[in-house]
Amino acid sequence: MKFRKFIRTYRPFTRAGMLESVAYRANFICFLLGEIMSCFIMFFVWRAVFNETQVFSGFTMEDMVVYLFITFLTGYLTYSDGTYAIATEIRDGSIAMRMIKPCSFDMCFLFQELGNKIFNVLVIFVPITAGVEIYRYVITGEWQFNIAYFLLYIVSLILAYLISFYFNVSYGFMAFYLKNLWGADILKEVIVNFLSGATIPLAFMPAFLETALNILPFSSLSYTPVMIYMGMYSPSEIVYRMLFQVFWLAAMILLSKLVWKHAVKRLCSQGG
Amino acid sequence: MIYVNDLRKEFKKAVKEPGLKGSIKALFKPKNEIVTAVDGISFHVPKGEILGFIGPNGAGKSTVIKMLTGILTPTSGTCEINGYIPQKDRQKYVKEIGVVFGQRTQLWWDLALRETYLVLKEIYNVPDDEFKKRMAFLNEVLELDEFITSPVRTLSLGQRMRADIAASLLHNPKVLFLDEPTIGLDVVVKENIRNAIKKINAEEGTTVILTTHDLADIELLCNRIVMIDKGKKVFDGQISELKHEFGNMRELVFELSKADDLKKLNYLEDLSLNADDLQLENKNMTVSVRFNSNNVPVEKMLSYTLSKVHVKDINLKDADIEEIIRRLYRQEVSIDEV
Repeated sequence: MKFRKFIRTYRPFTRAGMLESVAYRANFICFLLGEIMSCFIMFFVWRAVFNETQVFSGFTMEDMVVYLFITFLTGYLTYSDGTYAIATEIRDGSIAMRMIKPCSFDMCFLFQELGNKIFNVLVIFVPITAGVEIYRYVITGEWQFNIAYFLLYIVSLILAYLISFYFNVSYGFMAFYLKNLWGADILKEVIVNFLSGATIPLAFMPAFLETALNILPFSSLSYTPVMIYMGMYSPSEIVYRMLFQVFWLAAMILLSKLVWKHAVKRLCSQGG
Repeated sequence: MIYVNDLRKEFKKAVKEPGLKGSIKALFKPKNEIVTAVDGISFHVPKGEILGFIGPNGAGKSTVIKMLTGILTPTSGTCEINGYIPQKDRQKYVKEIGVVFGQRTQLWWDLALRETYLVLKEIYNVPDDEFKKRMAFLNEVLELDEFITSPVRTLSLGQRMRADIAASLLHNPKVLFLDEPTIGLDVVVKENIRNAIKKINAEEGTTVILTTHDLADIELLCNRIVMIDKGKKVFDGQISELKHEFGNMRELVFELSKADDLKKLNYLEDLSLNADDLQLENKNMTVSVRFNSNNVPVEKMLSYTLSKVHVKDINLKDADIEEIIRRLYRQEVSIDEV
């Protein structure tokens, strides 16, 4: 009953988010083209690095291509706009309009963002996974698609998205202190992309760094789901990595609540 | 209903020296100073009252409203509304209030207006039949029909304001906060909005607190006004009291036939008045003198003026609320006098 009321309250945000995303279709198409282009640029860079026969820390060239595209897909699906959205609202003071509504701040954002994403997910998910699987079939001569890994990947992906969401919400609240988060947001993107393995697989890093990065929350954002999809983890490793994700999700939710509680006291509305 | 007790709000403000050098200095060695925006304000509002909150720009009106609506946390002091402390039970409390900030919108920018109302309906848990009745009522008083299917970003300011007010009333709140609801609107829309506020107050017994710079809003709507300046309360009472108290201010306006004549007039000395009691303005031969009729009788002013100069036209005006407030804003009247 409580759950039904919860869904009833926040469902309209998802609906409104969907309608919003449709309002700016051209924006989405441009964004998508840009991202796919950068994906192919990375593909050519790695092809220059790899020799046909070489194996790098357990990665063949074929693995690298799969890694590249699945990382792109994961990064896109787990991307959360929280930092930018919250920072903007704090900067122009419109956050006040959210505070006069009887709903939880983070839930409004979460459901709105889900609505924003739904169409984009449908547009991008199928072509990329299909493309990757066809590529693997062409290279190896047999189907590599594994339904168990795929389903585990979906679960891990959802966890990754939620971690990313709460991390970005926490980070966005820093705007209460910095007032304008533009520079800090770019810094965060670069650091997170590196630490989460989105730029270079963590397996390529020196051993001590790889261990450290596996413990930090960032690997849960991208590296873990991608490695699960690729079947690089043993079953016990999968369980272990997913528990890690759950742990970091709980930690991020807690962090966001703490930051919100503290920040809201410092709120001084800008712009009248 | 609403109890506000010794409310204070201080802000930290970064102090920067001018120019690039100052900015760089501030980057490494930030200096702050504390600004008191609201300085110990107390008042009480009974149910069903329309309270006007006035004061010059930067007096702290909006800051008070923001504390009452739970957006800002007071530095000290308390406010209690419907038995809630806004900052404590935010989610429960805001279910019972409606808020409009004239310079902001709570509507969804990219969506058709109707969608916003559907979102609000779910957030506030308004039942279907209640929603229909409410929308019909709001439609009638605010005339939303003509633009309810348009995206909010295409609405004119007047339409947007009407839509915003409707949005704040959808859940039938007990208290309605309006922060400059008529800012930048034309006369017809203002009229429209005032009527709507009046009607809602009369039919639902909604308590209304509004801030405004438009004195007509106050005269037409409010039972009572609270005036603040520099964060302090300077007047609290009925409008009639204010008028009674300062009804003695009169204004004499006359048109000179010769420009030189102005020099012949010396009210202060010839009538032995204080500078406080008199104000003289001269615009293209039209002179207006505001004076305190307690200290100098009207007939004396008239006879003195007419004996000194030739006038083409002369006119004596009553004090209006605007004049009183102008005097209060300029701090010509101290708190003790009120």
